[in-house]
Amino acid sequence: MFLALREIRRAKTRFALLVAAVALLVFLILTQQALQNGLITSFVGAIKRQSAAVLVFAVDGQRTLQGSVITPALQKAIESAPGVAEAGRIGQGTFTVVVGDAAKSNAALIGYEKSQLGGPDRLSAGRMPAAAGEAVGSAGDFSLGDRVRVVGPGKAVELRVVGLTDNAQIQVSPTLFVAWPDYVAATRAFNPDAKTVPPSVIGVRPVPGVSAGALTTQINKTSGDADALTRDQAAEKAPGVAAVRNSFNLIFLLFALVVPLVTGLFFLIITLQKARALTLLRAIGAPAGVLVRSLLVQALIIIGGGIAIGTLLFFPLSQAKVGKLSLSFDPAAVLFWAALLLTLGLLSALVAARRVLAIDPVQATTGGGAR
Amino acid sequence: MKLALRELWRRPGRFAVATAILALIALLLMVLGGLLDGLVAGSTGALRAQRGQLIVYSSTSQESLVRSHITPSVRKEVEGVAGVSRVAGIGSVQLGARIDGHGPRDLVPVVLFGYELAPKGLPDAVPAYGEVYADDSLHAEGVKKGSTIRLGPARTPVRVIGFLQDSRYSGQGTLWGSLATWRSVLASNRPGERAGDGVDQALVVRVAGADAGGQASAIDRATSGATKTLTIPQAIDALPGVSQQQTVFNQIIGITVVIALVVVGLFFALITVERIGLYGVLKAVGASSGILFAGVLVQALVVTLIASAIGVAVSLALAAAIPSGSIPFVATPSRLLTSTAYLLIAALLGCAFSLRRVLKVDPAAAIGGEQ
Amino acid sequence: MTTIATDLALQMERVSKIYSVGDAQVVALDHVDLTVDADEIIALVGPSGSGKTTLCSIAGGLLTPTDGSVIVGGQDISRYSPKQLTRFRRESVGFVFQTVNLVPFLTARENLLVVDEIGPRTGRRARDRADQLLDELGLTDRSSNLPAQLSGGERQRVAIGRALMNEPDLVLFDEPTSALDTQLGDQVVNLIRHEMKSRGTAAIIVTHDDRITHYADRVARIVDGRISDPGARDD
Ligand SMILES: Nc1ncnc2c1ncn2[C@@H]1O[C@H](COP(=O)(O)OP(=O)(O)OP(=O)(O)O)[C@@H](O)[C@H]1O
Ligand SMILES: [Mg+2]
Repeated sequence: MFLALREIRRAKTRFALLVAAVALLVFLILTQQALQNGLITSFVGAIKRQSAAVLVFAVDGQRTLQGSVITPALQKAIESAPGVAEAGRIGQGTFTVVVGDAAKSNAALIGYEKSQLGGPDRLSAGRMPAAAGEAVGSAGDFSLGDRVRVVGPGKAVELRVVGLTDNAQIQVSPTLFVAWPDYVAATRAFNPDAKTVPPSVIGVRPVPGVSAGALTTQINKTSGDADALTRDQAAEKAPGVAAVRNSFNLIFLLFALVVPLVTGLFFLIITLQKARALTLLRAIGAPAGVLVRSLLVQALIIIGGGIAIGTLLFFPLSQAKVGKLSLSFDPAAVLFWAALLLTLGLLSALVAARRVLAIDPVQATTGGGAR
Repeated sequence: MKLALRELWRRPGRFAVATAILALIALLLMVLGGLLDGLVAGSTGALRAQRGQLIVYSSTSQESLVRSHITPSVRKEVEGVAGVSRVAGIGSVQLGARIDGHGPRDLVPVVLFGYELAPKGLPDAVPAYGEVYADDSLHAEGVKKGSTIRLGPARTPVRVIGFLQDSRYSGQGTLWGSLATWRSVLASNRPGERAGDGVDQALVVRVAGADAGGQASAIDRATSGATKTLTIPQAIDALPGVSQQQTVFNQIIGITVVIALVVVGLFFALITVERIGLYGVLKAVGASSGILFAGVLVQALVVTLIASAIGVAVSLALAAAIPSGSIPFVATPSRLLTSTAYLLIAALLGCAFSLRRVLKVDPAAAIGGEQ
Repeated sequence: MTTIATDLALQMERVSKIYSVGDAQVVALDHVDLTVDADEIIALVGPSGSGKTTLCSIAGGLLTPTDGSVIVGGQDISRYSPKQLTRFRRESVGFVFQTVNLVPFLTARENLLVVDEIGPRTGRRARDRADQLLDELGLTDRSSNLPAQLSGGERQRVAIGRALMNEPDLVLFDEPTSALDTQLGDQVVNLIRHEMKSRGTAAIIVTHDDRITHYADRVARIVDGRISDPGARDD
């Protein structure tokens, strides 16, 4: 401890630079983790938020709500599949809206026929819609009592926000959950040419004893046009989600390599530099273990300090919005990265530790020890 | 100078770790940039391929192609604006494509465009009804000249008669046919969005003269606010997510460059500390600070160039190895070059930290000896 | 750990050290016998390459002999393991080396305290001892200087203080004055004699310097790894 701390104190700038580098890297990693989560949540958050355990898309919808159209025949086939206890229509579309007196903007509407099959599963404020024209909005985009007008070439539809729900965006748009008739009205406001308004997907509840996963297999067997997915699958397999995850994982992998390499290089170099002093200490009777421990204590302080500062830098950012994305401070992710980087960093310091262990104390007699 | 290079060749081991770290950072920069380029290219190709300078949306569309509707009467008004030399309708629809050789549920997401004014790389003549040109990214999905692709739930067939490059949209491959083809595909697959006869989604406008921005407002005035006209670059910026992606990625790239700077700074600061004795001797025999520092710079440049070369090689290998569609990564020469340039600048700045040390070396210290 | 009752600081019997360099063998020490009394100061002189440093290293537990026995302060260290030798060096001997003696990032006082830090700590006692030693060595007002801020003689004095921190049975000096000018060398040797005699600690001083031999109780001459006349007293 004594040696480790004294050395840090005597070479402040050098150690401070390293802490700064680690802190920056940690900050970047955490920011990108939050971006990834934010991106995915704002792409498919509403799919996770809606209450149906199984969603049946049309194969042609390519697993997107906006692309899927359920024909009456397909709907019949789904309803009659074995294991289906109840089915409800769910529609989704993006519309031009006017919130209060603000300028026109975009909002996604999710229309559900049955609130247990497609309505939000949880509210953060307010209540579920009870009357026509009432809606639940994505928290952060809407406030309770907001008046939302869906405008278009057809007859405008008036909605009122009576409830709010978290992490409920779809396609990075402010999102409103409304009852089916309001959704139909909104679709006609946007396109008066629309004759019938088909559902985008069918929400399904399995009979007791049948798991959601088993039900998807059953439904897929029933019709070649049906693409049944559990709620989590529907979120994960949405187009783009895998690409986002893969891209970020590639970046994370590189960052996770850079951190231990930087710390490893640093400790290797300072160990080489003080080889003479270390040889002397070994000669006057310092056990190699004491010297290695002092090295690891330094690594712990540097990496721990870097992680702490990086996290502190990240915290204010995590409360902010990047463009339309809202980020969040995810303690589990912070802990995961802290543990991973600490482990990798300490492992990298072991390279320097090997050098310490290889020191031959007799070199002190010849003034050698610095190679 | 000679001395610096000789040290590099004689003791490559001492520079290996730093080179490895810089190579990783170089790769990180190139991957980040390549992902950004890939994302942007994949979502903007169709707009960049347009031969007009302006694009006219309906004012209710929130500058989104799919939600724009241009009626024949509005089109007439646009055609009447002075300075407008060509007005062409354009329409798009996103559908799942069934391609020979793919499984029954394995649809390829594509965007079908209907056009009047041929995009870059296509002949002026619009293809016959039911015939399309395909973006060459669809080669990877098994599309060939003469292939028949069945689009959407209605399985509307279109025949591929040729290919064009760099015309992707929303990260998907594109097909380019006549407006009539588009209208009929839309009507059979998206009954809720069908466009009446003569209705276009948007207009691509070619203007005489250089003042495209001024023409845009003239068009919007002529339609008395029914349209929202953007230049092509403005329309690209209005695509959801594109500008956010650019800012976020550029910030990340910026911080990564700063980290490279810290790494180089740290490494050469440590190396010069190690060499103070040597520098003392060299100065004592008459070497100037300038010569010594030039040696440090040369080493930094060589190390950075080697690291960048490794980064470039791995980036190219990565670009070749990544299966198309999983990660939107492209390795363009300009990106690889700018990344290398950033790194070189970071390396030179990082070295500047060591300049002070080199200047401070006192030749007398060479005689003073230890400690 | 076996302790043999003795009042000798060092007892080397028929100690040999053979280095193997590739196929060749270098006999650095050839059946050396040497004893040092508990409060005796011995000057070890001999030509370059004669084995002086090797002898000191073996006596101080930095090297193990190829053959023979080495007893320091009653401990037979000739068959000690590297771990035992580390502990032996920490507790029973003091070293002053020719060149590197101090940890560059520690102050003079901390360079003394480091001896306590690398073993089981005694805290207060060690601090008192360090302050007392610094005082005796005339370094009280230099105690918070880093080695780079000390003169050559001061550094050597700090090294002597460090060598005495663990109250050793035997202190080994390998050419302690070779980096110093004549006057300073004289001062340092004077100080060594004073410190050793006032504590009754034994010492071996390796030197080329004839002046030092006057301060020693006895001079041992080593040539080609062999000690001539080990028993004779010089004064
Ligand atoms: N590690 C080693 N490997 C091989 N030979 C060695 C080694 N160390 C010392 N020797 C040899 O052993 C002999 C004695 O060396 P030692 O260092 O003890 O001499 P010395 O009397 O201290 O000389 P000097 O006065 O020059 O310091 C020399 O011939 C030397 O070359
Ligand atoms: Mg010697």
